Amino acid sequence: MTLVGLSVKNIRRNRLRAVLTVLGVAIALLAFVFIRTTLDAWSTGAEHAAQDRLGTMHKVSFTMDLPRTYFEELDGTRGTVPGVKAATYQNWFGGKHPVREQEFFATIAVHSDTFFDVYSDMAVPPDQLAAWKEDRQGAIVGEALAKQFGWSVGDDVTLLGTIYPGDWKFTIRGIYSATRRAVDRTQFVFHWTYLNESIKDTMPEQTERVGWISTVIEPGARGADVAQAIDAKFEEHDVQTRTMSERALSMEFMGSFGAILTALDVVSGVILVIMMLILGNTIAMSVRERTNEHGVLLALGFRPKHIALFVMGEGLAIGLLGGLAGLCLSYPFINGMGRWIEDNMGAWFPYFQIPIDVAITALLLAMLLAGLAAVIPAYRASRLDVIDALRRIG
Amino acid sequence: MSAEATKADDGHTKPRADKPTIIRCQDLGRTFWRGKERLDVLEELDLEIPEGSFEALMGPSGSGKTTLLNIIAGLDRPTRGRIEVAGKSLGDLSEAALAKWRSQTIGFVFQHFNLIPVLTAVENVELPLLLTKVPASERKKRAQTALRVVGLEDRMDHRPQQLSGGQEQRVGIARAIVHDPKIIVADEPTGELDRQSADDVLTLLERLNREFDKTILMVTHDPAAAERASVLRKLDKGRLS
Repeated sequence: MTLVGLSVKNIRRNRLRAVLTVLGVAIALLAFVFIRTTLDAWSTGAEHAAQDRLGTMHKVSFTMDLPRTYFEELDGTRGTVPGVKAATYQNWFGGKHPVREQEFFATIAVHSDTFFDVYSDMAVPPDQLAAWKEDRQGAIVGEALAKQFGWSVGDDVTLLGTIYPGDWKFTIRGIYSATRRAVDRTQFVFHWTYLNESIKDTMPEQTERVGWISTVIEPGARGADVAQAIDAKFEEHDVQTRTMSERALSMEFMGSFGAILTALDVVSGVILVIMMLILGNTIAMSVRERTNEHGVLLALGFRPKHIALFVMGEGLAIGLLGGLAGLCLSYPFINGMGRWIEDNMGAWFPYFQIPIDVAITALLLAMLLAGLAAVIPAYRASRLDVIDALRRIG
Repeated sequence: MSAEATKADDGHTKPRADKPTIIRCQDLGRTFWRGKERLDVLEELDLEIPEGSFEALMGPSGSGKTTLLNIIAGLDRPTRGRIEVAGKSLGDLSEAALAKWRSQTIGFVFQHFNLIPVLTAVENVELPLLLTKVPASERKKRAQTALRVVGLEDRMDHRPQQLSGGQEQRVGIARAIVHDPKIIVADEPTGELDRQSADDVLTLLERLNREFDKTILMVTHDPAAAERASVLRKLDKGRLS
């Protein structure tokens, strides 16, 4: 037996209490890891967004559209605006499944000739891509979306238009897969020409308009310089533009959720503080019950520092056990759920798995906070008067 | 452990006149305060105990027996007077030095046994050795030897709740002797035991005194226990009679 062994053996004194305490720490840790993973997944889209892709939108707001002629001008600048390799345009369609309206997915009208050149991280089998280009009402959907709704190539699908009212009929011509982790696998893309021609009579003011223009820059080109050059090109036009990298765009989008993210951040900290307080109370109770034993140890010649170290060691051991148990719960639970989230909420969380740094941080925090929780009980135990302690019947 | 003592005709170990004094109290006093009320628990107490004796201390409740025992064992400090135990003036020692001295010089036997419930018998006995530089394997060997001395070689891996009261107290005695202290202090060692177990424990204490030359100071209310000691001292209202 060793001094450390003696400290750890104290955990076995009341097995039920020890198990419940460890379980309490484990569940608090599970909640912490879940929130941190959510926050991480939320920012993953931005962090892993393509750096070589730029988005050009209306200078006032990304909800306002641009004349399609801007694409013509921009596309025509290949070789004249330094750094632009390819460009495409798209419109947010805002379609919904007519029955499962609550299940959100992105529906986008795209320029079929150029879209998959610019978005090369969305891989479509060549034969499906060719078939789609031939079908004006054809659509290509992400593999996760196809799985979610049980769609296969050749299926006829009707969507309910929200921005562009009416029933919109499509035929699934292809299913794309993602070649990078941050790519949303739940998008529904179709021909911009289908949208543009369909609204000529009902919404003529909306025709020949595009939501935003995406460009890919040449390798080695500086995104900021290219963005500046694009915006300068339209500076003297009626509608000015704002161009930024996809990553900056994602960051800006995330920024609009800043308060929610901050609140989640705070909640994850509060959970750990509550865990620490409960743990402190449990350790204090356990130490109080052992006052007589500590008196005996002091009588035998153990020093107050030994008693304090025993209590601290006990706290750290509970933190370590609770932390490991928490991670054992977290991995199957969160990662299992993460796969479902990726498939069903890929627009917001394209990648939802526990990052290793979150797991390590959680384990270290569990030990640190358990150690902190034991500080006051340890201090009080070390201040015991040996005679008083021995008088307490164990 | 050395075996050297003088045995009298009645079988009791008698203090030998040629043995040096191991415990010396001079004009010892201990005062407690309960609010503004002054309690002189020990007063002008002089005491000399020779090495190798087995002494019993009796007296009514509140007479100061346990207080005297605690002072001799280095758990408490006197308010007045001087105390010297095993050649050390305890008043001159710091708290840390006193704790170290205690761990080397004193073996404790408690009324309520005070074993650690999560440890086995051998682990409980090993406790005082954790403070020494003795290697782990040697510590275990010594703890096993101490348990053999008290006749519990077949209970080494039992936890306290798996032992009878008498066995628990014998584990407590093994813990008190494992580090080979010069003095064993026993506070009501038979207070929680039935007659038979009490006799066994007292026989064991006699044997430790006789065969291993341990100086034993025992506080007791039990006349039968006191009779087993070689010297009986009575304490009343803080004074030895």
